[in-house]
Amino acid sequence: MNYFEFTNPTKLCSGQGALDNLAYELEILGASHPMVLSDAMLEKIGTLKQVTDALSDVQIGRIFTDIPRDSSIETVNRIAKEYRDFGCDALVALGGGSVLDTAKGVRLLISQDADDLLELMGCECVPKGKPVPFVAIPTTAGTGSEATAVAVIKNPKLGIKMEYISQQLVPDTAILDPRMTATLPPRITASTGMDTLCHAIEAFSCLQKNPVSDAYAISAIELVRDNLLRAVRFGASRQARWAMANASFLAGAAFSNSMVGVVHAIGHALGGVCHVPHGDAMNILLPAGMMFNCKKCRDVYGELLLYLGGPELYGKTPKQKRARAAIEEVLRMRERLHRLTGLPVTLKEAGVDPAKFPEVARAALNDGAVIVNPRQVTYEAVIRILEVSYGN
Amino acid sequence: MKRELQNQVNALVLQVLFRGFRVLYKHDERVRKEMDAWKDGLTLKLVCGPGGAVLAMRKSERTGVAKLHRAQRTAITMRFKSVEGAFRVLTGQMSVSQAYAAHFFTLEGDIYQTMSFVRCVEYAEAYLFPRFWSRRILKEVPEKELSALRVYVLALLENGR
Repeated sequence: MNYFEFTNPTKLCSGQGALDNLAYELEILGASHPMVLSDAMLEKIGTLKQVTDALSDVQIGRIFTDIPRDSSIETVNRIAKEYRDFGCDALVALGGGSVLDTAKGVRLLISQDADDLLELMGCECVPKGKPVPFVAIPTTAGTGSEATAVAVIKNPKLGIKMEYISQQLVPDTAILDPRMTATLPPRITASTGMDTLCHAIEAFSCLQKNPVSDAYAISAIELVRDNLLRAVRFGASRQARWAMANASFLAGAAFSNSMVGVVHAIGHALGGVCHVPHGDAMNILLPAGMMFNCKKCRDVYGELLLYLGGPELYGKTPKQKRARAAIEEVLRMRERLHRLTGLPVTLKEAGVDPAKFPEVARAALNDGAVIVNPRQVTYEAVIRILEVSYGN
Repeated sequence: MKRELQNQVNALVLQVLFRGFRVLYKHDERVRKEMDAWKDGLTLKLVCGPGGAVLAMRKSERTGVAKLHRAQRTAITMRFKSVEGAFRVLTGQMSVSQAYAAHFFTLEGDIYQTMSFVRCVEYAEAYLFPRFWSRRILKEVPEKELSALRVYVLALLENGR
């Protein structure tokens, strides 16, 4: 590649007490009546209250918590209507990927004065519209949605997860506060952490990779390598939580600019057809996806060994064996997480019915991520990856 | 002058591509399968830069694709940001995947449905360019179900409307 583009305009407020700056951040974005989006679980466990407390001097326009795990186009359209009805002027999204992506969809609708998200489908085609200040506060360290120009939203009528790619989706500000992920259970910490690792590895190996996205991806991989197991074992470790939140942001910024590949394409399809949680799917599919791409990515994966396994392992592994060793490092990480949390490592454990493989494969082939995958993705290849990942 | 020439080449290649689609719909099972799976009445447009050549098509049950007027709104529009970028793709200097990776075009419409169209373009490229050339730009060159020469001859005889 002899041309690339890179953008990451999000202001990052990261670390202890970051949430305390929320009111100020909204004020400098020109917002006075924010709509707060979250989910029922975060409301129940008190995480949402921490945010509303931080906004005690701000007049909140509306709090909306009825967002399902896989948000849909209908949900987005409904929230956009409420945003207008309640006279809101900004969005604060507190949650995991679903809440953040829902907020992105709402922002797109409001900024373009549209009523239906289906009208705005596409890639890099939406012009700058009405400004809608948008602050993202992730409560998982995985999706990286707070740093991306991508939103994945379900179309229940077609049973698929649809991708929206636009600079208009990127949040103005991301707040990474270790308090927001402190209560995340070990299994979800593991699952979302593997999503981060997958973002970074695919960003580092896809056709759209570039020197700047590589730098972000490498930093993310090193942070995951050094902190994911610690965050799983010692959930109260603010240091480990913070590192994973930073890793997630970095990996998000990386893949927002270099895209992801076959692992995500199949993962999105598995989510749409078989309802496998995204992080679990990434954890299950990543090694098989890497093995599939290895033919084209031997050197790139060889280089990854330095960041996945550290300089000592890299130094003592012969060049021709480094790619394989990098995949083995991923398998080792996965095995440790499986032992610690029971995170599934096969599709069989995840309860996927192999009879659905053809449907999953057809959906995966139409996912936008296959276009930048380094190796041509065919129906047969997807079926093979699914079979290997099933545990055969 | 250079831009005008590129524009004319783009227009010519779009014409060849359109005829190629119709030929392959009849003679290449994979292309037929892809197009048959398109939503009924699906409309697509390829725009080769501002003021550049345009190919607007709709799904046709009989011939795979049929032409539309260039000004008509379509469900899917692939819009190259420049005439030069479109020229590089249409003359086989880079693949659709490489052009996407380099942000050479934007897409209006459903990404999900567009992927099938991209596969059709790649099948067509495998026929339209010599194998050594296709190998340079495609990740994997698909097997041909008929000879490239036959595709060219049939494309010449094909109705271009």
